[in-house]
Amino acid sequence: MSNEELPRDQERTGEQQADMSEQLTGRQRLIAGLWPPRVTRAQLIVALLLFVLGLGLAIQVRSNSDNSALRGARQEDLVRILDELDDRTQRLEDEKQRLDDQRTELENSSDQAEEARKQTVEKERQLGVLAGTVAAHGPGITLTINDPGDAVQADMLLDALQELRAAGAEAIEVNGVRVVANTYFSGDAGAIKVDDRSISAPYVFKVIGKPQDLEPALNIPGGVVQTLEKEQATVHVAQADDIVVDALRPAEQPDYARSSSQ
Amino acid sequence: MIAVLGLVVGVVVGLLVRPEVPAVVEPYLPIAVVAALDAVFGGLRAMLDGIFVDKVFVVSFLSNVVVAALIVFLGDKLGVGAQLSTGVVVVFGIRIFSNAAAIRRHVFRA
Repeated sequence: MSNEELPRDQERTGEQQADMSEQLTGRQRLIAGLWPPRVTRAQLIVALLLFVLGLGLAIQVRSNSDNSALRGARQEDLVRILDELDDRTQRLEDEKQRLDDQRTELENSSDQAEEARKQTVEKERQLGVLAGTVAAHGPGITLTINDPGDAVQADMLLDALQELRAAGAEAIEVNGVRVVANTYFSGDAGAIKVDDRSISAPYVFKVIGKPQDLEPALNIPGGVVQTLEKEQATVHVAQADDIVVDALRPAEQPDYARSSSQ
Repeated sequence: MIAVLGLVVGVVVGLLVRPEVPAVVEPYLPIAVVAALDAVFGGLRAMLDGIFVDKVFVVSFLSNVVVAALIVFLGDKLGVGAQLSTGVVVVFGIRIFSNAAAIRRHVFRA
């Protein structure tokens, strides 16, 4: 009985094993290959090749990720990229050149404008001294005429002024009135008016000019000083290093005359 | 098991040691890696089919790598390197997919 059954069992198990090996062949082989580890020739060779594969994989992944895209690029791509960069550089260089030129131009024009403005300001100051619109100071003389007898006439003061102008006076003020191109003296002795403003003795001329020219011009024989002293007026001339002429006149726009240069 | 260990060790060494690849080999490395992957999948499928022979695996691995690099090299010389390497990658991709399908049938029965 057992003798009969045993081979049947053996047969059955044999069939089952055959079935199992037929059905689970893929998985079984995979599991058998993975565990337990066996050192065979095939395993070693495959391990070596897979090692090489892993190495290449890692190198490639790293060189792709850590560097720019240029590292793996091939030659013609690199040449194209280089060309594009060259073009771009050229274009940027051109633009830089253009902007530089523009900047130089603007700097020049602004320099010129600045220079013109400076010259205008300088000219305005010079003309302002002449026109009496700005205060002036510098070396000069003070001419003081005392007139106890009320004998000094307006034309004598005008003579004195003309003498001073002839001697190079640049800015003149009489008793607080700025003397300009159209200044006039009027009135009688003792009630003299300058530009319609009454002044009274002593008449004080503050004059800016070269003192060494101005004083002799007044003192020449038969000149202003002698003429005035003949009228019992006392004349005193004092040189000074710094005369301040600070009486001002408003700037007046001429009604009819226009500058012909504009 | 030893084979899987070899792959892992390769990746780790590649990441840690950071070897410099010669500039001549560099353009062919990605294609060579793809070719080797194809060979590995083919070998895995053969193992599951029970027809794995280590000699065949070695020869197919090396010839795959060499031929792939050769094709790319030739393409570079002919001025169609980019297109040829794309073609090579497509072909190997298809093969890898079909191998992967066979492996899947073995492992998952589906």
